[in-house]
Amino acid sequence: MILPGLASLPFGIGFGVAAAQKGLSAFETTMMSFTVMAGTSQMVALDIWAQPLPLVALAVSVFVANLRYFVMGAALQPHMPHLPWWLQPPVWYVTVDQNWAVNIAEYRRGQGDLGKFLGGGFVMACIWSGSTLAGHLAAGGILSDPSMARRLGLDFVGVAVFVVVATILFRGKRDIAPWMVAIAAALAAKWMIGGNWYIVIGGLVGGLFGALRDLRSGHVRQS
Amino acid sequence: MSASPENLVAILVMALAAMAAKGGGFIAMRWLGRHRFVNALLDHAPGAVLVSAAVVPLTQGGGAFVVGAVVGAALTRTVGGFTAGLFGAVGAVALARWAGLT
Repeated sequence: MILPGLASLPFGIGFGVAAAQKGLSAFETTMMSFTVMAGTSQMVALDIWAQPLPLVALAVSVFVANLRYFVMGAALQPHMPHLPWWLQPPVWYVTVDQNWAVNIAEYRRGQGDLGKFLGGGFVMACIWSGSTLAGHLAAGGILSDPSMARRLGLDFVGVAVFVVVATILFRGKRDIAPWMVAIAAALAAKWMIGGNWYIVIGGLVGGLFGALRDLRSGHVRQS
Repeated sequence: MSASPENLVAILVMALAAMAAKGGGFIAMRWLGRHRFVNALLDHAPGAVLVSAAVVPLTQGGGAFVVGAVVGAALTRTVGGFTAGLFGAVGAVALARWAGLT
């Protein structure tokens, strides 16, 4: 999980710099990253961060920016039907893009491991929080220039995780049409709505298309 | 190590909102159960979410990202496994940029 965790490094540094410019302390920046652990929504929140703090707007914007995790959590739950109640919040906490992508692939192959999911998520939380702290401490210094990470291709790690896991999950002809529909819906959503709604919309539209097609043809499999 | 109480309350509110979004789908599935339509939807949703998450950055990231995606997918298929594909994809992006692609 260290390499997927590094996906957040350039973004984390950028967030740390932005948080410093908004007047958050290093402690507050690190605390926000470790507890919220959802970079895009933190960046959205930073946009509306002003005194007096708009708590309702902050809550709504963070919830909406994280709606893709709603879909991811729904896909994960059937693989953990008997999870004790006290383990559920830690599982929700570590449900973040790369950790979910890697582990949903393992669960679907029957090789899912809760310890690996939780441990990997904790490693990612530490890398994410550490990178935002580094960005905050180095605001205006060399780390605020993400060109080094870019030269090393680290800005691609997050996308690479999605591509590689999608390749592992690809089941051939039956996936082609739903994935094409998902891609078209995601691109349309990005073009018409903006933000990161394209993940939720593409995922739901592609999933619905595949589900309706399978129900019509009578091919429904266990997820 | 300074922190204002107002900022800490706002951070707590944000953390709860993030947990609500993350846990909402998980909890909803406990209520929805294993309906045929839900089964069929969840059979396709993970792949659809992944390609949706990948396609927009790929179209916006330039030629180096496309090279990285192709190399990553090819290595995952041929060599097999997650690690080879991931390292190959990132290395390909670095090489493509070194060669002048954006």
